[in-house]
Amino acid sequence: MKPLVVEKVVKHYGDKTAVNGIGLEVAEGEIYGLLGANGAGKTTTMRMVLGLIMPDQGSIRYFGKPYGQEQLRMLGYLPEERGMYPKIRVSDQIIYLGQLRGMKRKDADDNLKRWLERFEISEYYNKKVEELSKGNQQKIQFIAAVIHRPRILILDEAFSGLDPVNVELLKSTVKELRDAGTSILFSTHRMEHVEELCRNITIMHRSNPVLQGSIKEIKSRFPQERVVLAADRPVEGLEQIPGVLGMTRHENGGYELKVRTPDVAQQVLRHALVQGPVRRFELLEPTLNEIFIRTVGDRHE
Amino acid sequence: MNSMWTVMSFTMRNKIRNKSFIITTVILGIVLVVGANVPSFINKFASGGGPTKVGYVAGEQGSIVQGLEAYFGKQEKPDVSLVPVEASGSAEDRTAALKQAIADKKIKGYLLFADNPEAGFPDVTYYSKKMLDTGTSEALQTALRTVKTEQAVRDAKLTKEQLSKLFDPVKLEAVQISDEATGKTAEEQGTAIGLTYAILILLFMSVMITGQLIATEITSEKSSRVMEIIVTSVSPLKQMFGKVIGTFLVGLIQLAVLVGAAVANLMLPQNVESLKSFGIRLDTINPKMIVFAVFFYLAGFFLYAMLFAAVGSIVSRTEDLGQAVMPVTMLSLAGFYIALFSLSHPDSPLVVVCSYIPFFSPFIMFLRIGLANPAWWEIALSVGILLASVLILGWLSAKIYRAGVLMYGKRPSVKDLMKAMKAFNV
Repeated sequence: MKPLVVEKVVKHYGDKTAVNGIGLEVAEGEIYGLLGANGAGKTTTMRMVLGLIMPDQGSIRYFGKPYGQEQLRMLGYLPEERGMYPKIRVSDQIIYLGQLRGMKRKDADDNLKRWLERFEISEYYNKKVEELSKGNQQKIQFIAAVIHRPRILILDEAFSGLDPVNVELLKSTVKELRDAGTSILFSTHRMEHVEELCRNITIMHRSNPVLQGSIKEIKSRFPQERVVLAADRPVEGLEQIPGVLGMTRHENGGYELKVRTPDVAQQVLRHALVQGPVRRFELLEPTLNEIFIRTVGDRHE
Repeated sequence: MNSMWTVMSFTMRNKIRNKSFIITTVILGIVLVVGANVPSFINKFASGGGPTKVGYVAGEQGSIVQGLEAYFGKQEKPDVSLVPVEASGSAEDRTAALKQAIADKKIKGYLLFADNPEAGFPDVTYYSKKMLDTGTSEALQTALRTVKTEQAVRDAKLTKEQLSKLFDPVKLEAVQISDEATGKTAEEQGTAIGLTYAILILLFMSVMITGQLIATEITSEKSSRVMEIIVTSVSPLKQMFGKVIGTFLVGLIQLAVLVGAAVANLMLPQNVESLKSFGIRLDTINPKMIVFAVFFYLAGFFLYAMLFAAVGSIVSRTEDLGQAVMPVTMLSLAGFYIALFSLSHPDSPLVVVCSYIPFFSPFIMFLRIGLANPAWWEIALSVGILLASVLILGWLSAKIYRAGVLMYGKRPSVKDLMKAMKAFNV
């Protein structure tokens, strides 16, 4: 039984369609990436999963059951727009949120202390949220989302506005939660995070799911057409090879070429070898970033 | 139920710990304590300072002055004492001498007499530096009338019986007619007016203060985006009622402290005396009035609290809140003022009509019950309409709240709100 199954969900706002027939499945211990440009319908989809909005058509099932009061308890939510009570102490509001999700006071308190220790911010237990730095507020917000040990976690733009150190810290925490069996629905604009964390993704564009599947499978659908080349001496005349569509020259003496078909890459290698030893040659699939831009950007016209 | 309790206790805890809440309560308490003691203070100051010294030209109008002195001499605390001033010569010289006496602080004012043969009694003028010295001039007028009557009686040579017939005061007692066996005496009426007045002010203040508090709280939750997490944890209905009841209980605690302070001070002996002089006696309060006061207080509070909660949920920024709650504020203000201006004629058609309109009835039906004795079916009808509107409004507000809390951006119109309600499937 999959923890979260979304089936052919449609949502209209008046005569505008916000989400048009999205379907996805998140397995236990999986991070599922939901990608899309701004206004593509990601937040609406997440809100429907959270039960904030009811879908017009389709169904959402949690461990095989429809949405209900019990399902609320196993959901955790980190909203895109962060929000806490600014004038209330960290301990008070986290315990309150834990209690609202059915935890015992003592239990929530213990859990909070453990999390604060994990993030090395135990001294903020009695501080008001407004006294904290933005990064620490984010951590508190994250704790608020996971305090009740949710089995399904929804992270909307989880790492935005954090410095690299804190991003790593939160990322490793998310991975831990995944390994502990939490199903995570994850949205972000940072493709490298998606490549690192997610097994399956859906790219949404103007309310429609346009690309769906495992990252590996999606990438294999796109031809290998990216060549990375580095040689000791400059290589001349790479652009003249038929089938080379474009070339960028990196500052440190490397080249990145776009080729029409994979066999053009072999010609590029031969051409370079004639002129001298090659330090690095790689034929690559497109990055998720490129796939995203191609999928979403191409349809902008 | 459980999570509603959690919301409630969280709301209460944060409100009671709030510094500005504590300070407001203390300041209001002090104001009330001072206010409760004001009547007795005024009494003290008014009677303090002894009688006003009034001068007259020595030797002038001997019989009248004697009469006046005899009259004031009989009083326990005389308002006026007469001081002869040596003066002679022309009218100007005498006036100058009297003015000099005022300047020397021997007297506060003086009397001059002018003959009026037609009336058989001189015209008297009281000169004083103080403006509107009505206390003294009234005392003088009463005294002069007594002196004049005594003179006239003496001239007419009346018997004792005739005299007592003339002087015995007329007895007139005002008793309000009501369905009950015994009507309200003047004292009970005074108390009822006082109590009605007090309850009206209390209800109005609670509605305004607590209502604003609820609206502000909800809007700030919305603007700080905590709402998104809260709404995913607990159903909006439970959250709204938890918040309203929590704030209500805090308001009630505050009210209990304030009313307790006021009543405790009013019970002090010197204050009971001065209240009695206004015709108010706390021990004549009808227990039925208290029951109705509590009922209308609760119903009125919840009616307005729902409205404030709904308005708070629509607004996304605290800055916009003031403007948004304006209509609700106006509504409660209208009810309050109609009630206040109708204290003296609680049976006017306006009052009767308004006592059935739900937003006004907490103020106005209470006024009628306190002062006008409406029929039982009138009370029942008003209470029924009020309860029904509390329920309907509670239901509607919950819907607006459900749709409103997740709408951001500019304040939505009614149409937007209807659309959102449909979208959120509420």
